[in-house]
Amino acid sequence: MKLLPKDVYRELADALGEENISQEPAVLDGYAWQPAMNLTNQKWIPRPAAVILPATTEEVQTIVRICNQRQVKFKAHSTGWAAWGGPSQEGELQIDLRRMNRILELDEKNKFAVVEPYVCCGQLQSEAMKKGLTCHIIGAGPNTSALASATSAWGYGGTGLSTGYSGRNVLGVEWVLPDGEVLQLGSPGSHAGWFSGDGPGPGLRGIMRGFSGTQGSLGVFTKCAVKLFPWYGPPQPRVEGILLDVETDVPETEKMFFVVAPSFKKYADISYEIGNAEIAYWFCRSPLNAGVDLFMPRAGDRLFESKPLRALLKAFQHLGVALLSSPSKREVEYQEKVLRKITVEHGCILLDLSKAPGYGFWWWLMGVRSIPTALTFRAGGDFLTSYGSPVEYDNAIRQAEVAQECKQKYIDQGYFKDDMSDIGWGGIYEGTANWGHCETAAMFDRRDGQAEGRFKYLEDSARTTIEHTLGLGLSNLPPGAWKVYGPQLHNYHLWEARIKKAFDPNSVGDEQWYVPSIDEIEPKESSSDEQ
Amino acid sequence: MNDLATLKSDMEGCSRCSHCKWVPMAQIKSWRFAKICPSVDRYNFHAYSGGGKLIASNSILEGRSEVTDPVMEIVYRCQLCGACQVSCQAYRDDIDLADVLLALRAKCVTEGYVLPEHLLMIESMKKEDNTLGLLKADRGVWAKDLDLIDINTQKVEVLFHAGCRYSYDEDLRSSVRNWVRLFRNAGVDLGAAGPEESCCGGRAFEMGYQGEMKNFAEDMIGRIKASGAKLLVTPCSDCYYTFKYLYPKNGMDAGLRVLHAVEYADLLIKQGRLKLGKCASLRVTYHDPCHLGRRGEIYKMGWNGVNKLHRPVRFKQMGNLGIFDPPRNVIRSIPGLDLVEMERIREYSWCCGAGGGVLEAFPDFADWTARDRIEEARAAGAEAIVTACPWCERVFKDAIAAGGDPMKVYDVIDLITMSWGG
Repeated sequence: MKLLPKDVYRELADALGEENISQEPAVLDGYAWQPAMNLTNQKWIPRPAAVILPATTEEVQTIVRICNQRQVKFKAHSTGWAAWGGPSQEGELQIDLRRMNRILELDEKNKFAVVEPYVCCGQLQSEAMKKGLTCHIIGAGPNTSALASATSAWGYGGTGLSTGYSGRNVLGVEWVLPDGEVLQLGSPGSHAGWFSGDGPGPGLRGIMRGFSGTQGSLGVFTKCAVKLFPWYGPPQPRVEGILLDVETDVPETEKMFFVVAPSFKKYADISYEIGNAEIAYWFCRSPLNAGVDLFMPRAGDRLFESKPLRALLKAFQHLGVALLSSPSKREVEYQEKVLRKITVEHGCILLDLSKAPGYGFWWWLMGVRSIPTALTFRAGGDFLTSYGSPVEYDNAIRQAEVAQECKQKYIDQGYFKDDMSDIGWGGIYEGTANWGHCETAAMFDRRDGQAEGRFKYLEDSARTTIEHTLGLGLSNLPPGAWKVYGPQLHNYHLWEARIKKAFDPNSVGDEQWYVPSIDEIEPKESSSDEQ
Repeated sequence: MNDLATLKSDMEGCSRCSHCKWVPMAQIKSWRFAKICPSVDRYNFHAYSGGGKLIASNSILEGRSEVTDPVMEIVYRCQLCGACQVSCQAYRDDIDLADVLLALRAKCVTEGYVLPEHLLMIESMKKEDNTLGLLKADRGVWAKDLDLIDINTQKVEVLFHAGCRYSYDEDLRSSVRNWVRLFRNAGVDLGAAGPEESCCGGRAFEMGYQGEMKNFAEDMIGRIKASGAKLLVTPCSDCYYTFKYLYPKNGMDAGLRVLHAVEYADLLIKQGRLKLGKCASLRVTYHDPCHLGRRGEIYKMGWNGVNKLHRPVRFKQMGNLGIFDPPRNVIRSIPGLDLVEMERIREYSWCCGAGGGVLEAFPDFADWTARDRIEEARAAGAEAIVTACPWCERVFKDAIAAGGDPMKVYDVIDLITMSWGG
């Protein structure tokens, strides 16, 4: 076990207080257990040398400066779910940002909130609702950090149709750079408030997070503003129960539907139409077989064994959940008429969920609070995700089709639970933008070993993504994926590596989930260019 | 009870999603009261959370780390309130988080990693049959002049078990006496063991001294059977949990129906045997004691499978079948009282801070936890916090007294007594 040098530990403890730093092995292992996205055969990821709990930007600066002076690598995380939030090698300092947990500002008029890293999406949404607003919640769920998904990761939420995805929601940012300097991006950089990410003030959003975020490899984000969107429901809805027992009152200005298309192509077509019509708050592909596995996994096991029942579920493969939300009953009636017209024109079926018992459950848990992802644990205990390139939407839907074939092979070999393979989830971004997201999860029990087979699936998903020109997806996230994708996509990894070197000259930010040092990868590229 | 090693699959199932730190996501109503685990909320390192303790347990089991003084603080600075399990099991079918926490403590005790404050309590239990270090001979003083039937010499239908805290805490004496008067008023003949009543043993079990509970349980069950009682009524939520959950989980059957006093009062009101009067106008909120609420859920027997992924949901201890409505029903049946709800209620209630041996070993942490709850009661607009557990009442009263807070604290029976003009 590699610990921090004693004098470094002392310096950090003096700066933040003994109660906010630990190198107790059992405490450190709390940061070395990260099953999600741990794509190795090792149960544990590397154990950090110490963990530290800053409460202010100044304390983060102090930590980062000490790391630079003493050549200690660091990794910061917010709510801390998945391996990308932990260290990639022993000897690193884990910065746990959970004491930075405030909502600093909630600007009703300009529709944004300024948050610290440990504010989870559920907290932000509940406060925003009191002011007639709501926020984007990524698919990972309301337990995750609003700041982390906006600044450092990439994720689609079911409301993508009306809210866009995580990287589109970030406005002003406060960023402790890897050398310890503080940079305020966008309007806060010119002391003009937090309303804009691109100015007046430095607009470095492309460098800060680029396309998919740097997963905490390029400094520490200590504050950020995120967009808020209109919420037409009550400030604090009556909700009873905690999950499958949830009961609530759905406002009459909200309506929810299942839209069932006969084919992948028709599903893409109707999605474009819904986007272009500028209706709906949420429209997201959610095959019925996926729902069965999430909500009744043991029944699913039996259903999937029966050919006639599989056929029945297959009929609802191309199912999307639509939530219409508006400030008036008349407006929601208009949206419903448009949805019905589009559905008929495309030979699809529309099922009105508001007639179904337990409708409030679907409305609150899925449509508003975005909870279902955590239910993915129920089927196998763990899951991974793949594909999911943000591209024109028919290409996104094509990903579900390709994924279905690719994943089935691994289901057949016992690496994944049988979920009828296609559980491609996602939707159109931002109405008329016509681009969107469709990622494919795969459920398994990590406790049975077999990690190689699952990693091979991810490699296969990356390969088929390239073969079918499906874009850069979630399959590019595992460390080293740049080797596959970089040459295909303008050698983006070289640009990233140069940015990393410029911002992190001492290479103290853990780069495992971003890109290796330029010194490590450029010579190889040069020699290949010469050939 | 499970040995830690038998729960390895539960530990390895943790995905580190951290739902165990939050109120179940469907129920987050504000920034301020979104947290559910006092332990991690106070001490911050992940190891203090429910999931963190799963990971620490696994780490210790694999020999990656050892129990040290700092690890003991993690293990024992936890009220075992069970909220983490509720939030975890909202999504997980294959992890029994509370079992791991109990097994971890048992391992610590077996290997000698014990706290002196807990040892004192255990010694008191062994010598004086109570958790409070007081004389056994004084146990029955609370019932002086109540003329309860002595179950040591006579048969009874209904046995009243006061529990340690109510037997000895003089501040709470009127409450326990009023429970007896109430049931008498409804025509119920109650019996009690007087000075022969002993601790249920639940506290010993929770602190990791699992074997000790067996001795108390055998004594208790023997006395119950000898009394001929068909119904046991207790006003103590800790005892209730021990009788309803711990005894059956550990294969011990008292062979009679067990009701908490508020459940029994609710039943008697519904049967028309109890009539409540009017109270002075008061806005109150009800605090769900962990041991009566989520942990008061009856032990779900009958599933003996190996892979918990295949366990039917009805066998999960999700906490939602605890005792939540009877106390609320009683409060609502008293004209003049305005019951308002806090944000964290029922199975996702915030703990009072007293449980799991925290009050004895870390009173500052118990106080910190209680203050958070009092703040929540104030945010709900309540003038008084009402509960149904003497341990909750004790820690709330102490926190309020120390802080000079105007919030009042009542047991449900105090409100009933007030409705009678008492």
